[in-house]
Amino acid sequence: MYARNKSEIPSSRIDWLTVGIYAACVIMGWLNIFAAVYDPEANQSLFDFSLNAGKQLIWIGSSLVLVIVIMVIDFKFYEAFAYLIWGMFLIALVAVIFLARDVNGAKSWFEIGSIRVQPSEFAKFGTALALAKFMGTAGVKFEQLRTKLICGVLLGVPAILILLQNDTGSTLVFASFVLVLYREGLPSWVLVLGVTAVAVLVLTLIVDKMILFGVIGAIAVLIIFRLRRKNFQSIAVVTGGALLVAGMITGVDFFINKVLQAHQRNRIMVLLDDQADKKGVGWQVMQSKIAIGSGGLIGKGFLQGTQTKFDYVPEQSTDFIFCTIGEEHGLLGSSVVVALFVALMCRLVMLAERQKDRFARIYGYSVASILFFHFFINIGMTVGLIPVIGIPLPFFSYGGSSLWSFTILLFIFIKLDAHRTEMLGRMN
Amino acid sequence: MQSIFAVNIKKSILLRVRVAFLVMVLGAFAIVWRIADLQWMEGSKWHKAAQDKMVRYRQVKATRGNIYAGDGKSLMATSLPFYKLAIDPTIPEKKVFEKGVDSLSILLSRFFGDRTPTEYKRRLKDVRVANEEARRKGRREREYLVINHKLVNYQEKKMMESWPIFRHGRMGGGLIFERMDLRYQPFRHLARRTIGFMNQGNEGAGLEYSFNGQLSGKDGEALFQRIAGGGWKPIRTATEVPSEPGYDILTTIDINMQDVAEASLARHLADHQANYGCVVVMEVATGEIKAMANLGRLPSGQYAETYNYAVGQQGRTEPGSTFKLASIIALLEETQIDPRDSINTGNGVLQYYDREMRDSKNGGFGKITIQQAFEFSSNVAFVKLMRDHFNTKPQRYFEYLESFGLTRPLGFQMLGEAVPVIRRPNDPGWSGISLPWMSVGYETRISPLHILSFYNAIANNGTMIQPIIVKEIRMEDRVIDSFRGKVINEKVCSGETLKKVRKMLEGVVSHGTAKNIANNDYKIAGKTGTSQKLKNGRYTKSYYTSFVGYFPADQPKYSCIVVIDDPKGIRQYGADVAAPVFKEIADKVYAQDIQMHKRMAATKWDQEGVFPTIRAGHFSELRYLCNELGISNHGLHDQDWVVARTSNNSVQWHSRQPRPGQVPDVSGMLLRDALYVLENRGLRVSFAGRGRVVYQSQPPGSQALKGSSITLKLAE
Repeated sequence: MYARNKSEIPSSRIDWLTVGIYAACVIMGWLNIFAAVYDPEANQSLFDFSLNAGKQLIWIGSSLVLVIVIMVIDFKFYEAFAYLIWGMFLIALVAVIFLARDVNGAKSWFEIGSIRVQPSEFAKFGTALALAKFMGTAGVKFEQLRTKLICGVLLGVPAILILLQNDTGSTLVFASFVLVLYREGLPSWVLVLGVTAVAVLVLTLIVDKMILFGVIGAIAVLIIFRLRRKNFQSIAVVTGGALLVAGMITGVDFFINKVLQAHQRNRIMVLLDDQADKKGVGWQVMQSKIAIGSGGLIGKGFLQGTQTKFDYVPEQSTDFIFCTIGEEHGLLGSSVVVALFVALMCRLVMLAERQKDRFARIYGYSVASILFFHFFINIGMTVGLIPVIGIPLPFFSYGGSSLWSFTILLFIFIKLDAHRTEMLGRMN
Repeated sequence: MQSIFAVNIKKSILLRVRVAFLVMVLGAFAIVWRIADLQWMEGSKWHKAAQDKMVRYRQVKATRGNIYAGDGKSLMATSLPFYKLAIDPTIPEKKVFEKGVDSLSILLSRFFGDRTPTEYKRRLKDVRVANEEARRKGRREREYLVINHKLVNYQEKKMMESWPIFRHGRMGGGLIFERMDLRYQPFRHLARRTIGFMNQGNEGAGLEYSFNGQLSGKDGEALFQRIAGGGWKPIRTATEVPSEPGYDILTTIDINMQDVAEASLARHLADHQANYGCVVVMEVATGEIKAMANLGRLPSGQYAETYNYAVGQQGRTEPGSTFKLASIIALLEETQIDPRDSINTGNGVLQYYDREMRDSKNGGFGKITIQQAFEFSSNVAFVKLMRDHFNTKPQRYFEYLESFGLTRPLGFQMLGEAVPVIRRPNDPGWSGISLPWMSVGYETRISPLHILSFYNAIANNGTMIQPIIVKEIRMEDRVIDSFRGKVINEKVCSGETLKKVRKMLEGVVSHGTAKNIANNDYKIAGKTGTSQKLKNGRYTKSYYTSFVGYFPADQPKYSCIVVIDDPKGIRQYGADVAAPVFKEIADKVYAQDIQMHKRMAATKWDQEGVFPTIRAGHFSELRYLCNELGISNHGLHDQDWVVARTSNNSVQWHSRQPRPGQVPDVSGMLLRDALYVLENRGLRVSFAGRGRVVYQSQPPGSQALKGSSITLKLAE
């Protein structure tokens, strides 16, 4: 058995469930892109290559080629060349800052003829590979300071480069690795701190700062009074915590008013107030909500949506593709899409947990986390749950770079999973 | 110990895996909860919002008023309705549709020329098939199909209304015309800038902009439904607020004069390769502007109405010698000097502080009268006069300018009038040379229209009136508002001064700088102006030339200013560049205006025994002519064609009736008659010369062959 070429794998080892979910998502995405750009005036075809839907078909076809290539390459390749791949994308990220033309305020596209490639999309799987390789190295423990620093470099450098391209959305995606690191031993308080920060952020927007200070002080005093053991240590912890939150409020205030640009601030304000920034991002969110909301329980039917077709909804085939699904297929269709994603992510976590090799497991977690982040932010944004952050919905949104990068991301893991028995089992 | 630690680690990892799962599931749950909230709980609210988007009250644009020329009939700007052709495909009955669709498709294809008949047919049929299916499934039908986005005009609309299917109208054929108005100038480029424009952003220029409030009318409202392709379809309801059409404005522009002015200006600008030019013709008694032409040089070297130099900021320049009129009036009014007094202009150069004032003639004019100093535009003379009489009281000079209305804007009806820049003696920029330099038209800035208004006052016996360009605002035949030029100054100077300066202005043309435009038919009075242009604080070799005056000088009817900026070549003076344009315009205006003509001395044409030339022609016409002229004539009745022979003092008619099949005799006929007679025989006529027929190549009475050619020779 081991004499065989290592890249050959019996089809029974491939996790067909994951592949099936992937295929379902891609096909549904393609049909919805067609619906989003469909003009009832012109008798358009699904295969019209001048339309986004036709072009997406080309991307889907080329993705299949990529899948075959990934499955044929030796599974050890990915681990062996992880740092090299990471480095290459780093160079691409630097190059794009100097070479790219401004598109919607971001400089993140390489233009090769009529094809545009966005390196920041691919940087995600490069980073996932590098992180998995590093964390998977024997003897590396997260408790060590050196480990933390190297993780910081692996994640931080590409994130900063993407931020320099003015592509805030793609930068935020790197936050999803926190979930991976948590699984690998990141202290819980970091997660708690993060959640608190977000909660504080929202609270400071709704409630007056002075009231918040008062409430926090009151809670701290209450806790101290109710403490069973009133020793110095526990009082110090509570007081310190209260001061930390108070500091956060001040920090958030500074962050919102001084660090965030006006349009970014508006994106957050819109969530709290329908009427905010009615001509800018508020309008987008309103249109998006109208489109999805008017879909009702079962939707208006394929190609029958009106909001998306009359160009009320912006970026209707890319970032706001979920509007078309919501409008034409209603709660039913939306739930199917959400269910597909949840199933995919759970399956990926399950697959990751059954890996014996740390590299494969960490990579699997990275894939699941990145997909989750995109899914949650993108759909959350269209339904007005999350500020508008321009990142695509995996497998659904129109665009070659995004479909290719998610395909590569996912299928490297499927390939690794198929070879899990051949990998060196290592106990933690 | 070791194993407990391992167990702890395992527990911790399990917990972490669960938390990771939880985060994902919670995230997904939040999303589903939010979607359900949107689509289920708030579903009807959003559904209504979507519906509201589909039907909306929209503005119905009011028809914009017209701009008429002074005759009240010639349209200078109007809004023409254009239509977008659409059909409600649910309306035509099957029988009507099937019967007409083929021929309608052919007509549509032929008319628009963008699709084949088959394509049009498919377009019309497809939507009906789709609608039938929609009806079966209980879905909404398509009620609006834009057949072509190209706009059609009213005549074309009328024609289309007679096409198959369409001829059943809106209720039977589903024909929908969506109307939109486009602005149209029947005289095309004529007075384009004076008429002006309005753009989408509610900005514009000229009359369209200045009178936008009156022209635009009041927009109405009607209910529209959103249709596929981004358009709106009107829905008929009783809740419409009808739009109120805008008022018409009646300008004072005379189309013929405008045409003459523009054509003449364009030709001369091209000859001189000048930068820009403008012409304004004003009626002396009323201040009505009869023509206002502005042409600027485009980068391509052609000229077009791009800016109103006569009125606006860019045309406000140092006027040069035309301003001497103001100075001489001030001098005559203030002092005892007389035009016959003499003044020594020396060698034509006068040092004044650190500057030099020069006359245009090399070596100077020497000792001349003040009258001549004006006629030849001697700068030195004016500087000296100003020095002698106003040096101690420059304020006085300013007061004169003020009373001439030159220091304030005219309050012209067109928006964007340039404010004149005239220094006061206590202004910061005032210097020792300000007064003398101002007196010859430097150190001041004033628009051509303003200078013209001042000259018009001299023509109008001293009464200065505000120029006007719009005389009435109308709603159909009803006059809403009417305008007259306000009097700026009843009398700018005494009658005696007036007489003197008019004589001087006439002198400029009769033997001064503008001698080249003097003529025997009528008298022109005016003044040339040539000013060097200031560039970076230095006067350059580039000039601003003008001629302003009025005609006929004895009984002024029109005043006119011609400005030509930066002429290239050897001729760069106002007399050579601007004055000829004035002359051309004045000539044509004079020729067209019979009232201006001097009575002709009655000449005795009818000498005894000499008959006017009457030879051959159409009988009834010739007889009428003879009867009117009182020439006794006799001989024939009931003939078409005749030849005249004279005997004594009367005319004897002889028949020239052509016989069938023979070549007629046309000798003595005018070409018009000869052509008529010959071509009626089927002959092909060629001719040479002018006057009456003296020779025909096929002799009279010969066989007339249809299609054969005949040559005529004509002579006076």
